[in-house]
Amino acid sequence: MLEGFTEWLSLSRTTAIFSDTTSFWTWLIIPISQCVHIICVAIVMISVGMLNLRLLGIGGMRQSFAELARDLMPWIWGALTLLFITGTIQTVAEPGRELLNVGFRTKMVLLAATVAITLVYERTVKKDPHYWEHSPERRKMAQVLATLSLVFWIGIAAAGRLIAYLDVRHG
Amino acid sequence: MDTVIGILQWINDQPLADNIRGSYWMFPAIETIHVIAIVIVLGSITRLDMRLMGLVWRNRPVTEVSEEMLPWTWTSFVVATVFGLLLWSSKPIDYFQIAFFDVKMILILLAGVNMLLFQFVTFKTVAQWDRDPLPPPPARFAGALSMVFWLGVVICGRLIGFV
Repeated sequence: MLEGFTEWLSLSRTTAIFSDTTSFWTWLIIPISQCVHIICVAIVMISVGMLNLRLLGIGGMRQSFAELARDLMPWIWGALTLLFITGTIQTVAEPGRELLNVGFRTKMVLLAATVAITLVYERTVKKDPHYWEHSPERRKMAQVLATLSLVFWIGIAAAGRLIAYLDVRHG
Repeated sequence: MDTVIGILQWINDQPLADNIRGSYWMFPAIETIHVIAIVIVLGSITRLDMRLMGLVWRNRPVTEVSEEMLPWTWTSFVVATVFGLLLWSSKPIDYFQIAFFDVKMILILLAGVNMLLFQFVTFKTVAQWDRDPLPPPPARFAGALSMVFWLGVVICGRLIGFV
């Protein structure tokens, strides 16, 4: 199914616009999009990283988890939105490079998991700022989520970089 | 010029460089670590830069933010540099001919000079403005410059791959 969609998208007029590299201006879209993408990765990585290290009790102890979450959530969602837009541009420009790529697919699965964890953080702390501190079980759960989120984010960055090396087009 | 090429050729011919070049997975693996370290450098330093510019964490002392962020910046910078040197050693003559590579190195140098000036001049008086939501102009300026330089480093780094 994804193969069919990839082929349809590859032949679409939108993709044709991006892949017209004879014009310098359309050629520029991809490098610019990738630069914005990596800068947003830096924003998300540091923000999510701080939240997770705070939950693990490793860093950022001068602020409560709820305070940190309040500060950082807008950065996380803002950067994720830009990541989604630039990522979509890169995918539409070269559908086969991304959609058929095991690095890309791994990245999307990990991304879904980390977004879910971030949503859990946001919802729970909004309801109750001390949600994760009430019982040893909650604290344990917080540590599990934080560890998973940290590992997944490293995985997302690694899978993202490796997309370039796992391109299955041309053989 | 010939001496430079000679040195680069010598680096190029080292067994480690040869291994990285010849291996299917080494360059991608090293590059992945390099990139992860760089996003942590950028993410952490820009948090401090934005505090200096009065854009984030306005209610937190500058020294507190700096103590929280800089260990991450430095550790990641060392990791990024070591792994970056490994990447570079695998094709130093190629990189020698890429303008974005030169610009990236110059920007890192400028970021370093800016940081030293800030550390040894502006930061000396931090006690007077540590809790100011909006630090004085020299501190704001240092933060803005640092952000421009580091964003430039990352952009040039990404563009090296397009040449």
